[in-house]
Amino acid sequence: MLNTIMKTKLFGWVDRRTGAEAIIKSQLTEYPAPKNLNYMWNFGSLALLVLVLQIVTGIFLAMYYKPSAAFTYGAYTVAFDSVERIMRDVNFGWLIRYMHAVGASAFFVVVYMHIGRGLYYGSYKEPRELLWIIGVVILLIMQGSAFFGYLLPWGQMSFWGATVITELFGALPVIGEYLQQLLRGGFAVGDPTLNRFFSLHYLFPLLLAAIVGGHIHALHVVHSNNPEGIDLTKPEEKIMFHPYYTVKDAFGVAVFLLGYCYFVFFNPQAWGYFIEVDNYVPANNLSTPAHIAPVWYLTPWYTILRSFESKLLGVIMMGASLAILFALPFLDRSKVRSARYRPVFKQMVYLFFVTVIVLGYCGHSAPTPTLKLVGQIATTYYFAFFLLLLVVPKFEKTKPEPEGI
Amino acid sequence: MKLKQLFIATGALAAALFANTAMANEGHGPALKHAEVNVTDQEQIRRGLTVFSDVCMGCHSATYVTYKDLMDYPEIGLTREQVDELRGDHALTEGMRTGLSPEDGEASYGKTPPDLSLIVAARRGGANYVYSILTGFEHDPAGKIPDGSFNEFFPGNRIAMPDPLAWLDHDEADTAQLEQDAQDVSAFLAFIADPHQNERRAIGCWVMGFLLLLTLVLWRLKVEVWKDVKH
Amino acid sequence: MTEKANESRRNFLYLAAGGLGGVAAGAAAVPFIGSMFPAADTMAASKTEYDVSTVAEGQLVVIQWQGKPVFVTNRTPELLKQLDGHDEMLKDPNSEAIEGVSAPWMTAENRKYRSIKPEYLIVVASCTHLGCIPGYKPSAGRAEWGDSVPENWPGGWHCPCHGSLYDLSARVINGSPAPHNLHVMPYEYTSDTSVVIG
Repeated sequence: MLNTIMKTKLFGWVDRRTGAEAIIKSQLTEYPAPKNLNYMWNFGSLALLVLVLQIVTGIFLAMYYKPSAAFTYGAYTVAFDSVERIMRDVNFGWLIRYMHAVGASAFFVVVYMHIGRGLYYGSYKEPRELLWIIGVVILLIMQGSAFFGYLLPWGQMSFWGATVITELFGALPVIGEYLQQLLRGGFAVGDPTLNRFFSLHYLFPLLLAAIVGGHIHALHVVHSNNPEGIDLTKPEEKIMFHPYYTVKDAFGVAVFLLGYCYFVFFNPQAWGYFIEVDNYVPANNLSTPAHIAPVWYLTPWYTILRSFESKLLGVIMMGASLAILFALPFLDRSKVRSARYRPVFKQMVYLFFVTVIVLGYCGHSAPTPTLKLVGQIATTYYFAFFLLLLVVPKFEKTKPEPEGI
Repeated sequence: MKLKQLFIATGALAAALFANTAMANEGHGPALKHAEVNVTDQEQIRRGLTVFSDVCMGCHSATYVTYKDLMDYPEIGLTREQVDELRGDHALTEGMRTGLSPEDGEASYGKTPPDLSLIVAARRGGANYVYSILTGFEHDPAGKIPDGSFNEFFPGNRIAMPDPLAWLDHDEADTAQLEQDAQDVSAFLAFIADPHQNERRAIGCWVMGFLLLLTLVLWRLKVEVWKDVKH
Repeated sequence: MTEKANESRRNFLYLAAGGLGGVAAGAAAVPFIGSMFPAADTMAASKTEYDVSTVAEGQLVVIQWQGKPVFVTNRTPELLKQLDGHDEMLKDPNSEAIEGVSAPWMTAENRKYRSIKPEYLIVVASCTHLGCIPGYKPSAGRAEWGDSVPENWPGGWHCPCHGSLYDLSARVINGSPAPHNLHVMPYEYTSDTSVVIG
């Protein structure tokens, strides 16, 4: 069908003025991709889909949402009221709101799977170091965007989550106090904070769109890795992206939508994980909920923060846990990419995935002494994983990689 | 392979633990009673509305529910006359608000009675929690908290709300009626916390059916197109 | 399995996928476009109730309906007499241009009154030229209004923005830039004095 369109006069008119045909050929129909990619390679296109979903639903929500902490009736505020108006009075507002809330969590599920693929198959190694680094930037902007967005409903979790996280910045020496005031627009989280977080929440995804463009461009220069981790030199090892991977990605989208729509239509709160119970209580700056935890996708970093007695050390180590991701391509110098051929690395990577899940569980739960210890052990392995990679290639007996696929 | 299995097992265990803590009372106090609530049952919701306006509105508001909503939501569907009776001087487009001012509420009860528009969503256990609270007023076994303030299911047991349905020391003969009133008002509150939920699930059925079909077609298309490739 | 069978199955699947995809895209657009139409609370505000007995004889009141200004005039018998005898001055004396179809109560008799009850005129106070609110000049002739009104002024409204003139039933007078009479919106009496507009 694409061929039929490209043969029309109209397309010719557009092509002469934009070079569209050359772009379609170089990026789709004559863009070679390894023929052995498995379904773990679907998560990139899924991440792009969810980004588009979030931007579109976000724009329509912004037509009705009002970022003001002014009181209206009792504990209710303009912002909280505007969300309830979307849920009750705006035509299909409930659907757009639930799509956006479920979409936020879906975005992180998809991106964590995408990163996991990168870790396991060595997609961060030469020549894809910069591709990986751009990806880490994307992760950070996603986390920022999610954090800003979560304040907007102005519920109890919104308010207290923002209070705790902006408090963290206050721990930094010298500049901490000023940084905290800069973020908050005042001495405590309040109306100025809400207004600027709305502005930033609108901005960050648009930044993301641009950076994702850069991510895809960087990918198209070096081309995709593959499950075997080897460089593919023979033409018969590659197939054109269109129609093979467009069709496989479309199938992946359908499967994803099944899961996504189940949650949107039948379980949008997801037992309190996508929309937390306490966030249905309007923000009260004089009463902290019994149990504050960040949303599930930020819990691993919360555990790392809480693993240290010193507040400053906790903040620094939490930052370090993200910063170390940038260093990964330069820490792991093994020439073998895929975990399929690296028996030691393979065990380490699986243990790393287990560790992140454990960190997440600890971050979500109330901090009992046992869980704190478990969190500390997990934090230790989190950092150990990266540092050990410095030495592992020296003694790891990699399995012989195949010549081709 | 052992660690891969450990990874899968951890994932499954974490999922089960996350789900379990969400569904039980999260280790906070006794397991909740189960309320027979059906948010598609117009009669139950209407009975619940009656309990709400007769009993609860003495102290509580439901400000996000307007009198006009009581006519417009098909699950309630009151007539104009019925709504006119309920609303008195209030405009049709006003929310259902109590006459008790927040100051008076705090003076009388120690805490301002919260608005109930979202209470079912705002408490772990939802409708079961509301039902358990309403039928949870008992004598304190430890003898510390006075009658009328001791509630079996309220965290910390000391509740500021006085027993609205007169559950404590009620006659045996009244139990069934009181339980029904408590269930019915829980149903009403469960409905108003998310008034489009029935429409949502109905549309959801169509969407899931369509997506199953779409997934099937795209799967077969993928298999067909990939026949070209030796893989 | 022949080449042809594969080809036709493939084409069928492409067609099916494309068709279902199109349906999905169309269905997905519905909630987003739908959300841009007025919300339920905005629609609830689309009707206004008013008690006409609060308007004194000869008085003009301006109320709001759907965010627009609305005139409610209580016309005395003298003012009602001023509605006769100047049909040739009017662009649309029988209100045929717009209301002819929409107002079922507009019988041949009360066409000149343009209201359900003759004494209470209820019209949108937005000049049909470019929307300004016309000024009320009920008495006939130039005694009160001087040169601002024409010589044979029957009484009515005079728009300050571009000079459009209307009679006491808000029917537009020839020579005015305004094309139509002031609009009569749907309304009904729910009791002797209570009106629901919209």
